[in-house]
Amino acid sequence: MIKSQNVLTEVESKGLLKKAGIPVVEAKLARSKKEAISISKEMGFPVVLKINSPDVVHKSDSGGVKLGLANATQVGKAYNEIISSVKQAYPEAQIQGVSVQPMASPGVEVIVGMNKDPQFGPVIMFGLGGILVEVLKDVSFRIVPLTERDAREMIKEIKGYPILEGYRGQKPASIPKLENLIVKVSQFVEKNPQIKELDLNPIFAYPDKAVAVDARIILE
Amino acid sequence: MFEEKLKEFEPIFYPKSIAVVGVSVTSIKAGTAWVWSLISAGFPGPIHPVGSKGGRFANLEIFPNLRLVPGEVDYIIVAIPRQSVLELLDDCVAKKVKAVQFFTAGFSELDAQQGHKLEEQMLEKARQGNVRIIGPNCIGVYCPEHKIPFPMGTLGETGSVGFVSQSGGIAAKLVTTGIARHINYSKGVSFGNGVDLDASDFLQYLAADPKTNVIGAYLEGTRDGVRLFNTMKEVAKVKPLVVWKGGRTEAGAQAAMSHTGSLASSAAIWSAMLKQAAAMEVHSLEELTDTLLICQQLKHWQGTRAAIIGGLADGGGGNSVSAGDACTENGLRIPLLSLETKQELSELLGEVGSILHNPVDVSQAQFRGLATLFQAIDLVARDTAIDFVLIQEDIDILLPIYSWKGIEEINEFFTELGSRQNKPIIVILPPGSAEPERLQIEQKLLAASIPVFYSMERAAKAISKLNQYSC
Repeated sequence: MIKSQNVLTEVESKGLLKKAGIPVVEAKLARSKKEAISISKEMGFPVVLKINSPDVVHKSDSGGVKLGLANATQVGKAYNEIISSVKQAYPEAQIQGVSVQPMASPGVEVIVGMNKDPQFGPVIMFGLGGILVEVLKDVSFRIVPLTERDAREMIKEIKGYPILEGYRGQKPASIPKLENLIVKVSQFVEKNPQIKELDLNPIFAYPDKAVAVDARIILE
Repeated sequence: MFEEKLKEFEPIFYPKSIAVVGVSVTSIKAGTAWVWSLISAGFPGPIHPVGSKGGRFANLEIFPNLRLVPGEVDYIIVAIPRQSVLELLDDCVAKKVKAVQFFTAGFSELDAQQGHKLEEQMLEKARQGNVRIIGPNCIGVYCPEHKIPFPMGTLGETGSVGFVSQSGGIAAKLVTTGIARHINYSKGVSFGNGVDLDASDFLQYLAADPKTNVIGAYLEGTRDGVRLFNTMKEVAKVKPLVVWKGGRTEAGAQAAMSHTGSLASSAAIWSAMLKQAAAMEVHSLEELTDTLLICQQLKHWQGTRAAIIGGLADGGGGNSVSAGDACTENGLRIPLLSLETKQELSELLGEVGSILHNPVDVSQAQFRGLATLFQAIDLVARDTAIDFVLIQEDIDILLPIYSWKGIEEINEFFTELGSRQNKPIIVILPPGSAEPERLQIEQKLLAASIPVFYSMERAAKAISKLNQYSC
């Protein structure tokens, strides 16, 4: 657990990203079980519930994420479980409630992030999501501001690029949409120097779009 | 682009007069060596030694203080202890000196706090007095055209390659390697700690300098990364820029909360920056000089389709195979020769024992005389499927077969062929037991603008770098 005032929650982060024109799976904050159920009904099932707390960075490690909830009963049960298991894991955490979002259909998982280099300032990172980024470190970097060409080159630079082109019958990911998303992230961090770090992880890349499923912004 | 730098840097690379501060006749001082180096190189303007004890050195009066030097002084070389540098800067301002280079070391590179503070004080004085600083902790300027050598160094021929180096040792090695391999410099600079003028300033100057066609750089860090990045983007648009970043393994990534932060090592960011700026990144002195050499020799040429001739007599088989690997691994192609070329080669060399694919085995020519060998190579070079010919010439093997006279003829043929076919002939001369003869051949070929390398691997890498340049 990291105690920090500077960590924006998923709901806050996605709100800022959406305003900047970066496609996200919208998440709404539910402060109670009742709210969680009514938001779910509005969005349509299945939904995902995640703990919403600036103090909980690794949400799934503490039982703070429930996927594929198909009806109101499941949502209600998941709400209680999330709150109690996070309270147990992090008794001091400030819990605002849970975020509710539609369950995204699976796409190719990628990550786009930003970090500040002491010599060159903001840099954007791109890689395939999940195990490939963590274990193989198959990522590429570019310095902000990025052109579309930079974005295209950094996508093609990773070793896992063939996976984006469609591997073993999997549908290919739209490279132009990913380029566009990367350039928008570059513009977003350029306009907001108070952002210290940013992770869009994962982004689901589809044949016709790319959408950030989870997002975290850390301020200076 | 950056045209204003030409006038601004005129007193640095083409000073009318130079003063050297820190000269003594009674003890061995760096300043004394510097004066001697300038005299030996034939610096065309007045050289004024300055040293507190006065006296005479090499027929020149040593002035006890810079202010006592007669007339204007453009450029000052300083080799005095660091506690005296601020006082000296006052003298420079009073004397209206344009640029001062500090050989003096022991600043921020040694003592982060004290050294840094002193550097800031130097910069403040220099800015107020309108003096530019090179260094401290550097050996300054190398300009063969204006007869300015590095200290204790030799002047090479004047050429078209410019360089900037944070390190004085690497700068000096670039010059000596250049002399050995005919890499001829327009000018170069070692800028050390770069408190005032740094890599960005000198890169801008070299981009504007009409005498520089190619730029090499050795860098370890930067105080203003954003400016360096923007400068490199502009510079690489007008001239090939080859960069070796030293200290790639330094611990650069700070503790970070995001994935991005933990994965963004300093080396990865530098590589990304160089790629984004369209600079060619290299990782050693060998790669840097190999790339500068091929840029100088072949200018604006580009091409990826290689014909490989692994040997001119026996023993070329394994070498052809590994040359094929080296080319392929570096993104070069080894296309099949055309049917006509193959037919003509088989008529010329006989089918038995020759492999007429690419890599091409011309070893059978050794039984038919030099004229046949030349015809065979000519046929390969003429093939429209290929852009250049890589030939390994092993002097150890050739000497007993063709004798020295034959080897000389072979190399004259290479020079003639390259210009006649308008296709680069790139020669590999691997070091061996016949080193004096090999060296003679290397010098002759380099002087005739033929690129020479010591292995197929290094040649392939350099050709691949040259192809990265996209303007």
